Amino acid sequence: MILTAAQVVAVTLIGGLVALDATSLGQFMVSRPFVAAALGGLVVGRPAQGIIAGVVLEALHLAVLPVGAAKYPEGGPPALAAGAVYAANFPPVAASATLLVVVLVALALEMVGGRSVDLMRQVTVRFAGAPVEGLTPGQLARRHLAPMAIDFARGALLTLAAVLLLGWLLRAIDFSGFPEVAIETLLRLAVVAGLASALRLFGRAHYPLFLAGAAGGALVAWLR
Amino acid sequence: MKRPGAGVRARMLLRSFAVQGSWNYQTLIGTGLAFVLAPALREVYKGDDEALRRSLGRHTELFNSHPYLAAVAAGAIARLEADGAPADTVTRFKHAVRGSLGTLGDRLVWLMWRPMSVLLGVSLVLAGAAWWVGALAFLLVFNALHLWMRAWGLAIGLRDGLQIGRTLKGVPFPAMGDRAGQLGALLAGFAAALAAGGPGSRPWEWGVAVGAALLGITLGPRVRGAAALAMVLALVAGLVLART
Repeated sequence: MILTAAQVVAVTLIGGLVALDATSLGQFMVSRPFVAAALGGLVVGRPAQGIIAGVVLEALHLAVLPVGAAKYPEGGPPALAAGAVYAANFPPVAASATLLVVVLVALALEMVGGRSVDLMRQVTVRFAGAPVEGLTPGQLARRHLAPMAIDFARGALLTLAAVLLLGWLLRAIDFSGFPEVAIETLLRLAVVAGLASALRLFGRAHYPLFLAGAAGGALVAWLR
Repeated sequence: MKRPGAGVRARMLLRSFAVQGSWNYQTLIGTGLAFVLAPALREVYKGDDEALRRSLGRHTELFNSHPYLAAVAAGAIARLEADGAPADTVTRFKHAVRGSLGTLGDRLVWLMWRPMSVLLGVSLVLAGAAWWVGALAFLLVFNALHLWMRAWGLAIGLRDGLQIGRTLKGVPFPAMGDRAGQLGALLAGFAAALAAGGPGSRPWEWGVAVGAALLGITLGPRVRGAAALAMVLALVAGLVLART
Protein backbone atom coordinates (compact mmCIF):
# COMPACT_ATOMS: atom_id res chain seq x y z
CA MET A 1 0.00 0.00 0.00
CA ILE A 2 1.35 3.43 -0.91
CA LEU A 3 -0.70 5.87 1.23
CA THR A 4 -3.69 5.40 3.51
CA ALA A 5 -6.95 7.21 2.67
CA ALA A 6 -6.39 9.64 5.55
CA GLN A 7 -2.89 10.40 4.29
CA VAL A 8 -4.21 11.00 0.78
CA VAL A 9 -6.79 13.46 2.14
CA ALA A 10 -4.14 15.22 4.24
CA VAL A 11 -1.69 15.49 1.35
CA THR A 12 -4.47 16.75 -0.95
CA LEU A 13 -5.48 19.51 1.46
CA ILE A 14 -1.86 20.52 2.09
CA GLY A 15 -1.46 20.55 -1.70
CA GLY A 16 -4.14 23.25 -1.89
CA LEU A 17 -2.32 25.31 0.73
CA VAL A 18 1.04 24.82 -0.97
CA ALA A 19 -0.46 26.02 -4.27
CA LEU A 20 -1.77 29.13 -2.48
CA ASP A 21 1.64 29.79 -0.96
CA ALA A 22 3.33 29.87 -4.35
CA THR A 23 1.57 33.04 -5.50
CA SER A 24 -1.82 33.85 -4.00
CA LEU A 25 -1.28 33.82 -0.26
CA GLY A 26 1.77 34.34 1.89
CA GLN A 27 4.63 33.39 -0.40
CA PHE A 28 6.58 32.09 2.58
CA MET A 29 8.08 29.58 0.12
CA VAL A 30 6.77 26.50 1.85
CA SER A 31 5.93 25.68 -1.76
CA ARG A 32 9.58 25.26 -2.72
CA PRO A 33 10.05 21.66 -3.92
CA PHE A 34 12.44 20.56 -1.18
CA VAL A 35 10.25 21.95 1.60
CA ALA A 36 7.01 20.67 0.04
CA ALA A 37 8.48 17.20 -0.53
CA ALA A 38 9.65 17.06 3.10
CA LEU A 39 6.12 18.03 4.17
CA GLY A 40 4.77 15.21 2.00
CA GLY A 41 7.18 12.82 3.71
CA LEU A 42 6.14 14.20 7.09
CA VAL A 43 2.50 13.29 6.41
CA VAL A 44 3.49 9.65 5.99
CA GLY A 45 5.96 9.79 8.90
CA ARG A 46 9.19 9.81 6.85
CA PRO A 47 10.22 13.41 6.11
CA ALA A 48 13.89 12.47 5.68
CA GLN A 49 12.91 10.24 2.75
CA GLY A 50 10.52 12.84 1.33
CA ILE A 51 13.25 15.44 1.17
CA ILE A 52 15.39 13.13 -1.01
CA ALA A 53 12.86 13.53 -3.83
CA GLY A 54 12.65 17.21 -2.92
CA VAL A 55 16.37 17.85 -3.35
CA VAL A 56 16.35 16.40 -6.89
CA LEU A 57 13.27 18.45 -7.84
CA GLU A 58 14.66 21.57 -6.17
CA ALA A 59 17.93 21.36 -8.10
CA LEU A 60 15.96 21.29 -11.35
CA HIS A 61 13.68 24.13 -10.22
CA LEU A 62 16.36 26.56 -9.01
CA ALA A 63 16.63 28.58 -12.20
CA VAL A 64 12.84 28.99 -12.64
CA LEU A 65 11.98 32.65 -12.12
CA PRO A 66 8.42 33.94 -11.47
CA VAL A 67 9.03 37.33 -13.02
CA GLY A 68 6.13 39.43 -14.32
CA ALA A 69 3.64 37.45 -16.37
CA ALA A 70 6.15 34.69 -17.19
CA LYS A 71 4.72 31.19 -17.52
CA TYR A 72 6.65 28.70 -15.44
CA PRO A 73 6.27 25.18 -14.04
CA GLU A 74 4.59 24.88 -10.66
CA GLY A 75 6.90 23.10 -8.25
CA GLY A 76 4.95 22.81 -4.99
CA PRO A 77 2.01 20.39 -5.35
CA PRO A 78 3.86 17.81 -7.50
CA ALA A 79 6.85 17.88 -5.13
CA LEU A 80 4.53 17.42 -2.15
CA ALA A 81 2.96 14.36 -3.78
CA ALA A 82 6.36 13.05 -4.90
CA GLY A 83 7.78 13.35 -1.37
CA ALA A 84 4.75 11.66 0.17
CA VAL A 85 4.65 8.75 -2.28
CA TYR A 86 8.41 8.17 -2.31
CA ALA A 87 8.55 8.24 1.50
CA ALA A 88 5.51 5.99 1.88
CA ASN A 89 7.08 3.51 -0.51
CA PHE A 90 10.38 3.46 1.42
CA PRO A 91 12.41 1.28 1.46
CA PRO A 92 11.53 0.54 -2.15
CA VAL A 93 12.55 -2.56 -4.11
CA ALA A 94 14.80 -0.35 -6.23
CA ALA A 95 15.45 3.00 -4.54
CA SER A 96 17.00 4.83 -7.50
CA ALA A 97 14.54 3.54 -10.10
CA THR A 98 11.62 4.46 -7.84
CA LEU A 99 13.09 7.91 -7.33
CA LEU A 100 13.55 8.27 -11.09
CA VAL A 101 9.87 7.54 -11.76
CA VAL A 102 8.73 9.82 -8.93
CA VAL A 103 10.89 12.70 -10.15
CA LEU A 104 9.89 12.26 -13.80
CA VAL A 105 6.17 12.24 -13.00
CA ALA A 106 6.61 15.27 -10.74
CA LEU A 107 8.48 17.16 -13.50
CA ALA A 108 5.69 16.39 -15.97
CA LEU A 109 3.02 17.47 -13.48
CA GLU A 110 4.95 20.68 -12.78
CA MET A 111 4.30 21.57 -16.41
CA VAL A 112 0.62 20.63 -16.06
CA GLY A 113 0.48 22.74 -12.90
CA GLY A 114 2.04 25.70 -14.69
CA ARG A 115 -0.51 25.40 -17.48
CA SER A 116 -3.35 25.26 -14.97
CA VAL A 117 -2.05 28.42 -13.30
CA ASP A 118 -2.05 30.11 -16.70
CA LEU A 119 -5.64 28.98 -17.32
CA MET A 120 -6.71 30.14 -13.86
CA ARG A 121 -5.26 33.59 -14.51
CA GLN A 122 -7.30 33.82 -17.69
CA VAL A 123 -10.44 32.81 -15.80
CA THR A 124 -9.66 35.28 -13.03
CA VAL A 125 -9.96 38.13 -15.54
CA ARG A 126 -13.71 37.93 -14.93
CA PHE A 127 -13.07 39.14 -11.36
CA ALA A 128 -10.86 42.02 -12.55
CA GLY A 129 -11.71 45.70 -12.83
CA ALA A 130 -14.77 47.35 -11.33
CA PRO A 131 -18.16 48.67 -12.49
CA VAL A 132 -18.42 52.42 -13.08
CA GLU A 133 -20.27 52.92 -9.81
CA GLY A 134 -17.38 51.31 -7.92
CA LEU A 135 -17.33 48.51 -5.36
CA THR A 136 -18.33 48.08 -1.74
CA PRO A 137 -15.67 46.55 0.53
CA GLY A 138 -17.69 43.32 0.60
CA GLN A 139 -17.93 43.12 -3.19
CA LEU A 140 -14.22 43.78 -3.48
CA ALA A 141 -13.38 41.07 -0.93
CA ARG A 142 -15.54 38.53 -2.82
CA ARG A 143 -13.85 39.43 -6.12
CA HIS A 144 -10.46 38.98 -4.52
CA LEU A 145 -11.11 35.86 -2.47
CA ALA A 146 -12.97 33.83 -5.13
CA PRO A 147 -9.82 33.31 -7.26
CA MET A 148 -7.96 32.20 -4.14
CA ALA A 149 -10.59 29.53 -3.52
CA ILE A 150 -10.16 28.41 -7.13
CA ASP A 151 -6.37 28.31 -6.66
CA PHE A 152 -6.74 26.17 -3.53
CA ALA A 153 -9.03 23.72 -5.33
CA ARG A 154 -6.68 23.63 -8.33
CA GLY A 155 -3.66 22.82 -6.16
CA ALA A 156 -5.54 20.18 -4.20
CA LEU A 157 -6.75 18.47 -7.39
CA LEU A 158 -3.28 18.54 -8.91
CA THR A 159 -1.80 16.99 -5.78
CA LEU A 160 -4.48 14.31 -5.65
CA ALA A 161 -3.91 13.48 -9.32
CA ALA A 162 -0.16 13.24 -8.68
CA VAL A 163 -0.57 10.94 -5.68
CA LEU A 164 -2.96 8.63 -7.52
CA LEU A 165 -0.85 8.54 -10.68
CA LEU A 166 2.37 7.87 -8.77
CA GLY A 167 0.74 5.20 -6.65
CA TRP A 168 -0.56 3.43 -9.72
CA LEU A 169 2.76 3.68 -11.59
CA LEU A 170 4.84 2.36 -8.70
CA ARG A 171 2.54 -0.64 -8.46
CA ALA A 172 2.47 -1.21 -12.22
CA ILE A 173 6.19 -1.00 -13.03
CA ASP A 174 8.41 -4.00 -12.44
CA PHE A 175 11.67 -2.52 -11.16
CA SER A 176 13.54 -5.80 -10.80
CA GLY A 177 15.72 -5.47 -13.92
CA PHE A 178 16.51 -1.76 -13.62
CA PRO A 179 20.23 -0.84 -13.54
CA GLU A 180 20.24 0.73 -10.09
CA VAL A 181 23.83 2.01 -10.07
CA ALA A 182 23.51 3.69 -13.48
CA ILE A 183 20.22 5.36 -12.52
CA GLU A 184 21.60 6.48 -9.16
CA THR A 185 24.57 8.05 -10.99
CA LEU A 186 22.27 9.74 -13.49
CA LEU A 187 20.12 11.26 -10.73
CA ARG A 188 23.22 12.41 -8.88
CA LEU A 189 24.56 14.08 -12.04
CA ALA A 190 21.19 15.74 -12.68
CA VAL A 191 21.33 17.24 -9.18
CA VAL A 192 24.91 18.41 -9.73
CA ALA A 193 23.99 20.03 -13.06
CA GLY A 194 20.87 21.63 -11.57
CA LEU A 195 22.69 23.09 -8.58
CA ALA A 196 25.52 24.35 -10.79
CA SER A 197 23.02 26.00 -13.16
CA ALA A 198 22.25 28.47 -10.35
CA LEU A 199 25.55 30.17 -11.17
CA ARG A 200 23.79 31.59 -14.23
CA LEU A 201 21.43 33.48 -11.90
CA PHE A 202 24.23 34.95 -9.83
CA GLY A 203 26.45 35.76 -12.77
CA ARG A 204 29.42 33.96 -14.29
CA ALA A 205 31.66 36.66 -12.84
CA HIS A 206 31.29 34.72 -9.60
CA TYR A 207 33.06 31.67 -11.06
CA PRO A 208 35.95 31.93 -8.52
CA LEU A 209 33.48 31.87 -5.63
CA PHE A 210 31.71 28.90 -7.19
CA LEU A 211 35.03 27.06 -7.47
CA ALA A 212 35.95 27.95 -3.88
CA GLY A 213 32.60 26.59 -2.72
CA ALA A 214 33.10 23.44 -4.80
CA ALA A 215 36.52 22.90 -3.21
CA GLY A 216 34.96 23.21 0.24
CA GLY A 217 32.15 20.85 -0.70
CA ALA A 218 34.57 18.30 -2.13
CA LEU A 219 36.59 18.43 1.09
CA VAL A 220 33.48 17.85 3.23
CA ALA A 221 32.38 15.01 0.93
CA TRP A 222 35.84 13.43 1.15
CA LEU A 223 36.04 13.74 4.95
CA ARG A 224 32.63 12.32 5.81
CA MET B 1 -5.69 64.79 6.83
CA LYS B 2 -6.25 61.60 8.82
CA ARG B 3 -3.42 59.07 8.91
CA PRO B 4 -4.35 55.38 9.23
CA GLY B 5 -4.29 54.14 12.84
CA ALA B 6 -2.37 51.15 14.21
CA GLY B 7 -5.32 48.76 13.68
CA VAL B 8 -5.69 49.84 10.07
CA ARG B 9 -1.96 49.48 9.44
CA ALA B 10 -2.03 45.96 10.94
CA ARG B 11 -4.97 44.98 8.70
CA MET B 12 -3.21 46.40 5.65
CA LEU B 13 -0.07 44.45 6.50
CA LEU B 14 -2.01 41.21 6.94
CA ARG B 15 -3.89 41.77 3.69
CA SER B 16 -0.63 42.46 1.86
CA PHE B 17 0.16 38.73 2.20
CA ALA B 18 -2.76 38.12 -0.16
CA VAL B 19 -2.01 40.92 -2.62
CA GLN B 20 -1.57 38.44 -5.49
CA GLY B 21 -4.72 36.45 -4.65
CA SER B 22 -6.61 37.59 -7.74
CA TRP B 23 -3.61 37.85 -10.12
CA ASN B 24 -4.98 37.99 -13.68
CA TYR B 25 -3.83 38.95 -17.18
CA GLN B 26 -5.99 42.08 -17.36
CA THR B 27 -5.24 44.08 -14.22
CA LEU B 28 -2.44 41.92 -12.76
CA ILE B 29 -2.52 42.68 -9.00
CA GLY B 30 -4.89 45.65 -9.35
CA THR B 31 -7.76 44.05 -7.40
CA GLY B 32 -5.25 42.83 -4.82
CA LEU B 33 -3.92 46.34 -4.28
CA ALA B 34 -7.46 47.65 -3.72
CA PHE B 35 -8.00 44.77 -1.26
CA VAL B 36 -4.91 45.85 0.72
CA LEU B 37 -5.98 49.50 0.62
CA ALA B 38 -9.57 48.83 1.71
CA PRO B 39 -9.03 49.22 5.50
CA ALA B 40 -7.31 52.59 5.00
CA LEU B 41 -9.92 53.82 2.52
CA ARG B 42 -12.73 52.82 4.87
CA GLU B 43 -11.20 55.12 7.47
CA VAL B 44 -10.48 57.94 5.05
CA TYR B 45 -14.02 57.88 3.59
CA LYS B 46 -15.83 57.13 6.84
CA GLY B 47 -19.46 58.24 6.50
CA ASP B 48 -19.27 58.68 2.71
CA ASP B 49 -20.14 55.30 1.22
CA GLU B 50 -20.40 56.67 -2.30
CA ALA B 51 -16.84 58.08 -2.24
CA LEU B 52 -15.57 54.83 -0.73
CA ARG B 53 -17.18 52.77 -3.51
CA ARG B 54 -15.70 55.01 -6.20
CA SER B 55 -12.27 54.96 -4.60
CA LEU B 56 -12.20 51.17 -4.21
CA GLY B 57 -13.34 50.75 -7.80
CA ARG B 58 -10.68 53.17 -9.04
CA HIS B 59 -7.91 51.25 -7.28
CA THR B 60 -8.78 47.96 -9.00
CA GLU B 61 -7.19 49.32 -12.19
CA LEU B 62 -4.05 47.71 -13.64
CA PHE B 63 -1.17 47.60 -11.20
CA ASN B 64 1.92 45.50 -10.83
CA SER B 65 4.80 45.30 -8.44
CA HIS B 66 6.94 42.74 -6.73
CA PRO B 67 4.50 41.26 -4.18
CA TYR B 68 6.70 42.05 -1.18
CA LEU B 69 7.13 45.67 -2.27
CA ALA B 70 3.45 46.15 -3.07
CA ALA B 71 3.18 47.20 0.57
CA VAL B 72 5.33 50.25 -0.26
CA ALA B 73 2.83 51.33 -2.91
CA ALA B 74 -0.15 50.54 -0.70
CA GLY B 75 1.31 52.60 2.15
CA ALA B 76 2.12 55.56 -0.08
CA ILE B 77 -1.31 55.48 -1.76
CA ALA B 78 -3.04 55.30 1.63
CA ARG B 79 -1.02 58.34 2.67
CA LEU B 80 -2.00 60.23 -0.50
CA GLU B 81 -5.66 59.35 0.01
CA ALA B 82 -5.47 60.44 3.65
CA ASP B 83 -3.87 63.71 2.56
CA GLY B 84 -6.75 64.28 0.13
CA ALA B 85 -4.62 64.10 -3.03
CA PRO B 86 -6.60 64.39 -6.31
CA ALA B 87 -7.46 61.10 -8.01
CA ASP B 88 -5.31 61.81 -11.07
CA THR B 89 -2.28 62.48 -8.85
CA VAL B 90 -2.76 59.09 -7.20
CA THR B 91 -3.15 57.43 -10.61
CA ARG B 92 0.03 59.09 -11.95
CA PHE B 93 1.89 58.00 -8.82
CA LYS B 94 0.76 54.39 -9.31
CA HIS B 95 1.92 54.44 -12.93
CA ALA B 96 5.27 55.89 -11.89
CA VAL B 97 6.15 53.38 -9.17
CA ARG B 98 4.88 50.09 -10.55
CA GLY B 99 7.83 49.40 -12.84
CA SER B 100 10.55 50.22 -10.35
CA LEU B 101 8.94 48.30 -7.49
CA GLY B 102 8.78 45.26 -9.76
CA THR B 103 12.36 45.49 -10.95
CA LEU B 104 13.83 46.15 -7.50
CA GLY B 105 12.06 43.21 -5.90
CA ASP B 106 12.53 40.76 -8.76
CA ARG B 107 16.29 41.29 -8.82
CA LEU B 108 16.84 41.17 -5.09
CA VAL B 109 14.33 38.50 -4.05
CA TRP B 110 13.70 36.14 -6.97
CA LEU B 111 17.08 36.37 -8.68
CA MET B 112 19.43 36.50 -5.69
CA TRP B 113 17.98 36.05 -2.22
CA ARG B 114 15.69 33.09 -2.85
CA PRO B 115 18.20 30.93 -4.77
CA MET B 116 20.86 31.74 -2.17
CA SER B 117 18.51 30.75 0.69
CA VAL B 118 17.45 27.56 -1.13
CA LEU B 119 21.08 26.62 -1.70
CA LEU B 120 21.82 27.16 1.98
CA GLY B 121 19.03 24.75 2.96
CA VAL B 122 19.94 22.18 0.31
CA SER B 123 23.64 22.40 1.25
CA LEU B 124 22.82 21.62 4.86
CA VAL B 125 20.76 18.58 3.85
CA LEU B 126 23.46 17.34 1.49
CA ALA B 127 26.09 17.86 4.20
CA GLY B 128 24.16 15.48 6.43
CA ALA B 129 22.05 17.80 8.56
CA ALA B 130 18.56 16.63 9.58
CA TRP B 131 15.84 17.38 7.03
CA TRP B 132 14.22 19.93 9.30
CA VAL B 133 17.49 21.82 9.82
CA GLY B 134 17.82 22.41 6.06
CA ALA B 135 14.18 23.31 5.58
CA LEU B 136 14.07 25.57 8.62
CA ALA B 137 17.34 27.33 7.73
CA PHE B 138 15.95 28.12 4.28
CA LEU B 139 12.58 29.33 5.59
CA LEU B 140 14.16 31.49 8.32
CA VAL B 141 16.76 33.15 6.10
CA PHE B 142 14.36 33.71 3.21
CA ASN B 143 11.51 35.00 5.33
CA ALA B 144 13.71 37.31 7.39
CA LEU B 145 14.04 39.49 4.29
CA HIS B 146 10.50 38.79 3.11
CA LEU B 147 8.79 39.85 6.34
CA TRP B 148 11.07 42.85 6.76
CA MET B 149 10.29 44.05 3.23
CA ARG B 150 6.54 43.90 3.79
CA ALA B 151 6.55 45.59 7.21
CA TRP B 152 9.20 48.17 6.35
CA GLY B 153 7.62 48.84 2.96
CA LEU B 154 4.22 49.65 4.42
CA ALA B 155 5.75 51.84 7.13
CA ILE B 156 7.88 53.94 4.76
CA GLY B 157 5.07 54.16 2.22
CA LEU B 158 2.75 55.60 4.85
CA ARG B 159 5.48 57.91 6.12
CA ASP B 160 6.80 59.26 2.83
CA GLY B 161 3.87 59.16 0.40
CA LEU B 162 4.88 60.89 -2.85
CA GLN B 163 8.50 61.11 -1.70
CA ILE B 164 8.88 57.34 -1.60
CA GLY B 165 11.13 57.31 -4.68
CA ARG B 166 13.80 59.28 -2.81
CA THR B 167 13.65 56.85 0.12
CA LEU B 168 13.90 53.81 -2.14
CA LYS B 169 16.97 55.26 -3.86
CA GLY B 170 18.73 55.30 -0.48
CA VAL B 171 18.02 51.66 0.30
CA PRO B 172 20.97 49.40 -0.59
CA PHE B 173 18.90 46.81 -2.48
CA PRO B 174 21.47 46.41 -5.28
CA ALA B 175 24.31 45.91 -2.77
CA MET B 176 22.20 43.39 -0.83
CA GLY B 177 21.53 41.55 -4.09
CA ASP B 178 25.23 41.52 -4.95
CA ARG B 179 26.17 40.09 -1.54
CA ALA B 180 23.44 37.45 -1.79
CA GLY B 181 24.68 36.59 -5.29
CA GLN B 182 28.23 36.12 -4.04
CA LEU B 183 27.12 33.89 -1.20
CA GLY B 184 24.80 32.05 -3.56
CA ALA B 185 27.63 31.30 -6.01
CA LEU B 186 29.74 29.94 -3.14
CA LEU B 187 26.86 27.77 -1.93
CA ALA B 188 26.07 26.56 -5.46
CA GLY B 189 29.62 25.21 -5.78
CA PHE B 190 29.52 23.76 -2.27
CA ALA B 191 26.19 22.00 -2.81
CA ALA B 192 27.12 20.73 -6.28
CA ALA B 193 30.34 19.17 -4.92
CA LEU B 194 28.48 17.58 -2.01
CA ALA B 195 25.93 16.11 -4.41
CA ALA B 196 28.71 14.84 -6.67
CA GLY B 197 30.72 13.09 -4.00
CA GLY B 198 29.15 10.02 -2.49
CA PRO B 199 30.92 7.73 -0.01
CA GLY B 200 33.89 6.17 -1.78
CA SER B 201 33.55 8.15 -5.00
CA ARG B 202 36.26 7.30 -7.50
CA PRO B 203 38.27 9.88 -9.49
CA TRP B 204 36.42 9.18 -12.74
CA GLU B 205 33.12 9.81 -10.95
CA TRP B 206 34.41 13.20 -9.84
CA GLY B 207 35.44 13.85 -13.44
CA VAL B 208 31.98 13.06 -14.75
CA ALA B 209 30.45 15.26 -12.04
CA VAL B 210 32.66 18.17 -13.11
CA GLY B 211 31.36 17.65 -16.64
CA ALA B 212 27.77 17.69 -15.36
CA ALA B 213 28.44 20.90 -13.44
CA LEU B 214 29.92 22.58 -16.52
CA LEU B 215 26.93 21.43 -18.55
CA GLY B 216 24.60 22.86 -15.92
CA ILE B 217 26.38 26.21 -15.96
CA THR B 218 26.27 26.28 -19.74
CA LEU B 219 22.62 25.31 -20.04
CA GLY B 220 21.32 27.45 -17.17
CA PRO B 221 17.52 27.09 -16.91
CA ARG B 222 17.54 24.68 -19.89
CA VAL B 223 19.21 22.08 -17.67
CA ARG B 224 15.72 21.07 -16.56
CA GLY B 225 14.72 19.86 -20.02
CA ALA B 226 18.05 18.14 -20.64
CA ALA B 227 17.87 16.30 -17.30
CA ALA B 228 14.27 15.27 -17.93
CA LEU B 229 15.21 13.89 -21.36
CA ALA B 230 18.11 11.90 -19.90
CA MET B 231 15.79 10.50 -17.22
CA VAL B 232 13.16 9.48 -19.79
CA LEU B 233 15.84 7.64 -21.77
CA ALA B 234 17.03 5.93 -18.58
CA LEU B 235 13.47 4.89 -17.75
CA VAL B 236 12.92 3.46 -21.23
CA ALA B 237 16.26 1.63 -21.05
CA GLY B 238 15.30 0.29 -17.62
CA LEU B 239 11.93 -0.93 -18.86
CA VAL B 240 13.55 -2.67 -21.82
CA LEU B 241 16.20 -4.29 -19.60
CA ALA B 242 13.54 -5.40 -17.15
CA ARG B 243 11.73 -7.28 -19.93
CA THR B 244 14.86 -9.05 -21.21
